[in-house]
Amino acid sequence: MANIAAKRIKREFKEVMKSEEVAGGAIKLELINDSWTELQGEIAGPSDTPYEGGTFILEIKVPETYPFNPPKIRFVTKIWHPNVSSVTGAICLDILKDQWAAALTLRTVLLSLQALLSAAEPNDPQDAVVAKQYKENPQLFHMTARHWTNVYAGGPASIVEFNQKVQRLLDMGVDEHDARVALSTYDWELERATEQLFS
Amino acid sequence: MTDYFQEMGWRELEDGEQPNHLLHMARFLIDFGMYDDNFTGEWPRLPPPASKESVKNLKEVKIEDENQNCPICLKKFNINDTAKVMPCQHLFHEKCILTWLNQTNSCPFCRHELPTDDEAYEAFKKEKKRSEQRKEDIEALHNSMFS
Repeated sequence: MANIAAKRIKREFKEVMKSEEVAGGAIKLELINDSWTELQGEIAGPSDTPYEGGTFILEIKVPETYPFNPPKIRFVTKIWHPNVSSVTGAICLDILKDQWAAALTLRTVLLSLQALLSAAEPNDPQDAVVAKQYKENPQLFHMTARHWTNVYAGGPASIVEFNQKVQRLLDMGVDEHDARVALSTYDWELERATEQLFS
Repeated sequence: MTDYFQEMGWRELEDGEQPNHLLHMARFLIDFGMYDDNFTGEWPRLPPPASKESVKNLKEVKIEDENQNCPICLKKFNINDTAKVMPCQHLFHEKCILTWLNQTNSCPFCRHELPTDDEAYEAFKKEKKRSEQRKEDIEALHNSMFS
């Protein structure tokens, strides 16, 4: 890895560890290997959002050309959000693409991702299905996102009705995550989800 | 009195140069609302490098305060180091900022834009300004009529 990238990540790492956000538990950063090219980030779901109480893990890959090019980041924890792919965890956020600036750091990027959880951009979606639900049925979106936070990110709000529907599909031999995706996609209508899964 | 061309942000055609009829047609269509897909105001990729001229003209200063970082490599400046100054007054190591400006034209810290050598991008910026100005004009006109 180019020297400047590794050196900068080292400096950033020290900086993050001293920051008040880490002290307050809002974000976390860990090294994955010794070459400073892979890290793991963690952000706490912001309060007053369906992600509240959840912990979201991020995979961070630092390119050799860092900080002249943005780090590659995706959600490892599954999340129901218009700007994050519910399948791959890929993120649609301008500063991770064409709005990257060399003065941005892993700390500011993690904080931006946390802000993205508070304020989605449904008009620039990564996941079209989620974005559609967000716009057309906000209440259901909110519940679905809370349910995913509960199941995948350790959030507190278990939604009994949704769990029961997932269980119904499990009883039919469907994979748990596939069942949850189908139900979330079809606004928790069991018939349509079943139809889609078995077609 | 500023002359007409200057006021409109135009210049006279060079000898033998033809007006850009396609551009005029496109503007005409947009201005008269016949083309619905309005100017979206987004450049679809990273803006182009800063112009050679503007990079060459960046000023240098001697560092006097040792508690300052270069925002690109995050290393502290040493006293008596020379640093490059962007027009927005942000300071960088020469090597750091030149690498960045060779890639895109804005200050990594505040996004202040330097001119580029990319004609398409410069035309885009002009058009963006034009469309913003137009929006303001329409709003001013609207307010003067209905308030």
